[in-house]
Amino acid sequence: MSWLRRSWPVVAVMLATVALGYPVALLFGLPLARQRMHDLSNWVTATVSAAPVAVVPNGSNGSLTFDHAPAHGVLVRNGAPVAARYRMSGSTVSLETPLARPAVRLGAALEGPLDPSGLLYRLPPGADAQTPLYVGGKLLRAGADAAIERADGRATTFTFHAASGPVAVGDRVLVAGRDYRAKGDTVTFTQPPDFNVDVRRITGAYAVLDPAKGIIALAHPSAAPPRVGQDEVRLAERLTGAVDGRNRTFAFAHAPVVETDSARQVYVDGRPLSSTPQRPKERVDGKRTRFTFTSTSGLVTVDGTLMTPGSQYTRDGPVVTFSAPPRRNAEVRQYRDYLVSNVHKGTILLAAAPKPGSVVWAAHYSYYARPECGTTVMQCFYSMPQHPVPFPNWIAAQVIPYFTQYPITDPRNIVRGVLYTTAGTVSALLLGAAFGVLLAVLFVFLRPLEQALLPWVIASQTVPIIALVPVLLLILGNFGITVQTSLIPTALIGAYIAFFPVTVGTVTGLRSVDPLALDLMKSYAANPFQVFVKVRFPAAVPFLFTSLKLGTAAALVGALVAETESNNRSGLGYDIIGQVQAGNVSDLWILLLISAALGIGLVALIGLVQRFSAPWDRP
Amino acid sequence: MSSRSHPLRLGRQATEADSRRPASAAATARPAAAEGGEGAASPRTVKPAQAEGAGSPLVIRAEKVCKTYRLRGSEAVALQDADLEVYQGEFVSLIGPSGCGKTTLLRLVADLIEPTSGSLEVAGKSATEARESREYGFVFQAPVLYHWRSVLANVTLPLEIMGFPRSERRERASALLAMVGLEGFHRQYPWQLSGGMQQRVSIARALAFDPRLLLMDEPFGALDEITRETMNHELLRIWGQTGKTVLFVTHSIAEAVFLSSRIVVMTARPGRIQSIIDVDLPYPRSAGTRESERFFQLTTQVREALRLGQDGTHGAHARAGEPGSAPDEGAGTS
Repeated sequence: MSWLRRSWPVVAVMLATVALGYPVALLFGLPLARQRMHDLSNWVTATVSAAPVAVVPNGSNGSLTFDHAPAHGVLVRNGAPVAARYRMSGSTVSLETPLARPAVRLGAALEGPLDPSGLLYRLPPGADAQTPLYVGGKLLRAGADAAIERADGRATTFTFHAASGPVAVGDRVLVAGRDYRAKGDTVTFTQPPDFNVDVRRITGAYAVLDPAKGIIALAHPSAAPPRVGQDEVRLAERLTGAVDGRNRTFAFAHAPVVETDSARQVYVDGRPLSSTPQRPKERVDGKRTRFTFTSTSGLVTVDGTLMTPGSQYTRDGPVVTFSAPPRRNAEVRQYRDYLVSNVHKGTILLAAAPKPGSVVWAAHYSYYARPECGTTVMQCFYSMPQHPVPFPNWIAAQVIPYFTQYPITDPRNIVRGVLYTTAGTVSALLLGAAFGVLLAVLFVFLRPLEQALLPWVIASQTVPIIALVPVLLLILGNFGITVQTSLIPTALIGAYIAFFPVTVGTVTGLRSVDPLALDLMKSYAANPFQVFVKVRFPAAVPFLFTSLKLGTAAALVGALVAETESNNRSGLGYDIIGQVQAGNVSDLWILLLISAALGIGLVALIGLVQRFSAPWDRP
Repeated sequence: MSSRSHPLRLGRQATEADSRRPASAAATARPAAAEGGEGAASPRTVKPAQAEGAGSPLVIRAEKVCKTYRLRGSEAVALQDADLEVYQGEFVSLIGPSGCGKTTLLRLVADLIEPTSGSLEVAGKSATEARESREYGFVFQAPVLYHWRSVLANVTLPLEIMGFPRSERRERASALLAMVGLEGFHRQYPWQLSGGMQQRVSIARALAFDPRLLLMDEPFGALDEITRETMNHELLRIWGQTGKTVLFVTHSIAEAVFLSSRIVVMTARPGRIQSIIDVDLPYPRSAGTRESERFFQLTTQVREALRLGQDGTHGAHARAGEPGSAPDEGAGTS
């Protein structure tokens, strides 16, 4: 308690600093979190697909139940709206006129089971991942959950969002108990999965394991093999917008849409539309105005800006002639049928207005469902992988793992780094202090020497150390002395900046002697050496220690800078530069704290030496 | 250091001193000393130091000593034509207003500064030789203790410099610290002592190498009145024990009268010796001495001499006490 009473100001400042860490962390982190939240590239995408029939109906009339309901439904089959009258109520469609053909025909059965688990099947030729599968006339719903961790060839423990379901690695379904043990959402494998292989959990009725080979895995064994649906009716999403022969803008039900979605399928009646951007055959050199595209019609953009035909360009088949040449290397593009005109509103612009009575619909498209990091800024802040200023407790929680992550024998172990840097700093300090004191003594006794050298000593400190280090290393390298093999470069660089405060402090100290004390020595007829040893030097000791403390900080900086220039795996400086390059902010903070602790520790050590070697100083 | 010009031991010195002990000596006036002032006419009863009269060895002899400082082009006369003779065993005080050159005179004797003109002999040698053969110990107004040394180490410092063997250093320092009443304080550091104790250490240090002469520059000036009187008694006791010759600078008339066997009254601008007053109070002096009628007569005499110096030579009272305009203040005690 007495300790606390004595040092409460220090403790209070420390606690205040720690407490200040939180608002500072928010100050710097929240703008980044907000940016993360608003940047669409960080959003989770979802897809809207035409829904297959959930239960295979008996005939071609009556009502059909679909897997899910789009916002504005339209019955389609094989890429064209179905010519039938119907009413829709949610995911149920009541047919008022019968369909020309049955809504679904069940096709070939899947090949399998392929392995003893009884879960693996192979799709028949012609079927793909989108082909609906039926068992006993009921639609199977696909669903899989990818592991949060990536398979790096070593890790055996993986976590999932889903807490149950068979585990598949690559195109194999593993046997629980033998190949892995599952505990909630954590799965531990007996053998680490191969590098980069897909580790998944089957959460739906089945999952497509390998689309190329057509391998699927059921969640549960099935008595009869699944069969594919053929020639099926689907419930697709109709785009909204007036179909009056003039309107060319239509909207998806979900926005923002993924602009660069190559799987997007938009139709006008039975005609699939293309929005693949075409590049001109010619180079955009800033002078050329005529460009040739593959299609003979479409929407033309320059750097993402839509060009107006007639005023900004004229068309002659596939050749487009601009009234003014686009700037050099401008992105000149032509979209044959449509382009996404507004990502956020989810609107597309068609090249030609659809005829009255036609249907504009989408069989498949992707949209941005939600920010990946969360729905609030705070959630996004918490989920940031790197915080510019982490919360102090996060840093604190990282400290012990940071020390124990590598065994002490590993060169990457931080204790070894600290010891290496300590050795560098101490040798730099010893060298710098010796040189600094020597210089100070010379200055005090040879006034002309001070007048001659002091400007150069000061000038030496204006040379940026970061510019000096490579030069010094290069020179020393010519003599075979490198940071990798010896402490000499570190010591020299540290000493270069550490000697200056020592010199200045010692000169001040040696001159700080009470004139009467010198008179007294004169009255004893003491010789100059005695005056130095008995009076001048002891009087300079407090100054010397203060300047040594300053020199320690300088030597540490020098040692760290010297280590950043090295490429051996020793020292805090190397670690710092490594984490900077890796962008590992939390580790940087720990290294910062370790460096600070090292500096404080060394300065405290000097204070301790001072206390024992100069007990006359008042406590 | 090999200089053993006076490898004196306290014991030997003490026996020598005994013969000149103020208290034991008979009282005879030394006429040469009292040329100015009414002191010359006063009855010389107890003058132990001058018991042997003119036969006693001359320790300080100053003849027409001048000291001029050059300050920013102008010259300031700190001391003009100072004539002074101090005999062995005497306690001579220099008193006068600020700027009268008393510290300058003391520092000239110590060879801390050099005279502009005139001749100065200390212990029969030139001042420089006297300093080099360590004829005097100097006590400054401030204790000037080396704060990185313990009390004992401060006293042994001059002995270290002069090359005394370790055991003798310790022995002498212990004896002197005992004499100044600081037996239990060997291991303390100066900052742990009071001002009076620090000044005692300083005195012990000045005596450590047993110099013939003790030069004291207002040693008790920074002390309070009560401590100062105690220190005065102590100093007299030490003087009695060691028999040193003391040249003592002071501002205090009472102190000068109480301590001295002779008082040199000085005047300012230019600093010069106005008169020399013999103090015939019997030794040993005690608290009762301060209350004696003769003590009052003598203080009055000194005071009048001081006033006479101001009125008679310059007629400028106001400037006499002015601080800062005193050349010896600037160059001497700091």
